[in-house]
Parts: sequence; structure tokens; C-alpha cells
Amino acid sequence: MTAELDPLIHVPTRLRIVATLAALPDGDALSFTRLQDMLGLTPGNLIIQLRKLDDAGYISSTKTRNGSAQKTMVTLTSQGRAALRAYTQALRVLLGGLDIDVTPPGNTVDEISAEDPKVKQRAEIATRQESP
Amino acid sequence: MDDTAGTTPGGGFDPRQAAALLDTSTRQARRAFTPLTPTLLAFRAVVVLVVFGGCWLSVRGQRPYTGHISGWAIAVAVVLVAINIGATAWVIGRAGTGVSGPAQRKWQAWTAIMTAAWIIGYAITAPLYHAGVSHPAWGLYPASAPLLIIGLAGAAIAAAFRYWLLAGILLAIAVVAAAAGLRGPAGSWLILGIGLCAVFLGAAAFTAWRQRRSVVRP
Repeated sequence: MTAELDPLIHVPTRLRIVATLAALPDGDALSFTRLQDMLGLTPGNLIIQLRKLDDAGYISSTKTRNGSAQKTMVTLTSQGRAALRAYTQALRVLLGGLDIDVTPPGNTVDEISAEDPKVKQRAEIATRQESP
Repeated sequence: MDDTAGTTPGGGFDPRQAAALLDTSTRQARRAFTPLTPTLLAFRAVVVLVVFGGCWLSVRGQRPYTGHISGWAIAVAVVLVAINIGATAWVIGRAGTGVSGPAQRKWQAWTAIMTAAWIIGYAITAPLYHAGVSHPAWGLYPASAPLLIIGLAGAAIAAAFRYWLLAGILLAIAVVAAAAGLRGPAGSWLILGIGLCAVFLGAAAFTAWRQRRSVVRP
């Protein structure tokens, strides 16, 4: 059984963006500034990643102007939610097949070894080439 | 030779790391967006136990029952309820910062309805007092009746809003209030203190579990 990890989501920063937006109820939007605060990203980096997700139709952004202040709201589209669901399912297939305990409570990403050759082999088969 | 051969997209970002990051990010976002935090619910458990327990301590020896509550118990209740209101407003404000949309508007409507329900539920005790109701009735009413009425009405409204956790909490509050009412004016305070404490602790535990559950491993 093979599973493909969507290369657009399978990048740490974009995965965090999509996961954060997916925690909101369907149809709700998050301001650019709050998203930036939550993720701890620079505005430039966040803009670049949002643009890639926007181009793929995974998010939509709207700008509103209140006097001189401009506010950008970001929403995960239904296409983006479906993509995250498919991505999550692909992860389950990949990791479930290896019978790996995915997220031991309290572990951070850094604490999880990236050196498991079995996992890497699966990832190579499963993912398409794309640089972040 | 291609240097990137054998690496995953994201520069060595393997599926296990991705799963951990997805879970961590989802948990952080759930915590950030929820107006019902386990900490707040646990704090409410302490509040109801201390407030209703304090009332029970000050009325339990009354023979006959007069419904007179000690000044210290009232002072403690006022302070804790004020802190609870402030903390609730802060948590709701923090959760909703930068969020807009239909679900957010629905939550704001819910908040307005329930704020009005709590105010009306307790405000009608004043005319009741001035109408000269008996002390046992006066003692029972502030303890059980508002919680029974608000609990049942709130549970129905929460269900209509599809807020199932809130509907469950409010229904449990109504059940505890009904059980407390059967224990008589003095005993009702104790039942409310213990029962509501258990309800809020249960809700806190459930909310904590719901926030922590993995999205990758169901």
C-alpha cells in the first residue's frame, strides 16, 4: 500500500500554518498578525508560505481597510481542509504500517529521531520532489 | 551526483517528524482558540466548592433555618465570582482575538444569551426577597432554583447551537441543582458545592483529553 504526502503541505512551516488554520471552525478566518504571533514567523516568511498555499487554493485571504490600517484575514478553504485530511491519512498509512508510536506525550519535534532508515525509505517512496 | 537524492521534501522532514509537528501544532492551536480551557474549568470547580461550601458552613447549624449567610462567606463568594467572571472574559477575549467568521459570531451570540440568562436568573431573587418569602424558601431559591432553570434552559440553547460539551455541562448542573433541592435548604449548599465541583472537574478532564488527542493516531 502506498501513500503520498502532499509536497505542498509536507514542509514544516506550511504544515504548521495549515494545522493552525484547521483548528478553527469551518469558514472562520484568522488575522495575519495573530497567525504570525502564534507561529513566531517573520512577516516576510509567512507571506511567502501563504502565497504558495493560496496559489494551490488551500487558503484564501481577504484584505480589509479601516482608515489607514489594513487587515488581512486568512481562511483555510474546503480544498485545504480536504488536502490536510488526505495528508493526515497518508501519514497514518505510512506510520501505521511501520507500527511506530507517532507522538509520545510531551515529546517535541526535535526530540524525535529522524534517523530511522525504514521511515526514510518509506518517505522517499511516498513523497514527490519539491524544495520548501 | 544529486545531493538531494534520498531526502524528503522539507530537507529531511520525515513522516514521523511531520506527524509530531502536526500533532503539536494542532494542540497549540486548539489551546489558543478554545474559550473553554481545562484550567478555567478546574478553577471553577474550586470556586463552586469554596463558595457553596462556605455558605453551607455558615448555615448548617441554624435551628430553625433562617437562610442567613455569614459576612465572610458572602465576601469570599463575591471575590471568587468576580475573579471567575474576569478570568472568563479574559480567556474568551484571548481565544477570539483575530478570529472572525460565522462560528465566531455564533459564539458571541451564545455568550450574550448566557450572560443575560445568568443575570436574569439571579436578579429575580431580589423581588422575591422583597415579596417577603419565607426564610427556608429564600434560602433554597438562591442555592438551587437559578441553577436548575439556567442549567435546563442553557442546555437546550447549547444543543440548538450544537455546543455539545456545554450542553452536557449545563445539563449536569441542572441535575445537581435538582438533587440539591431535594436535600432541603441547608443541605442543598453542600450538595451543590460537591456536585458542581465534580461536574467542572469532569469537564476539565474531558477538555484536556480532547485538546491533547492526536490527529494522526485516532
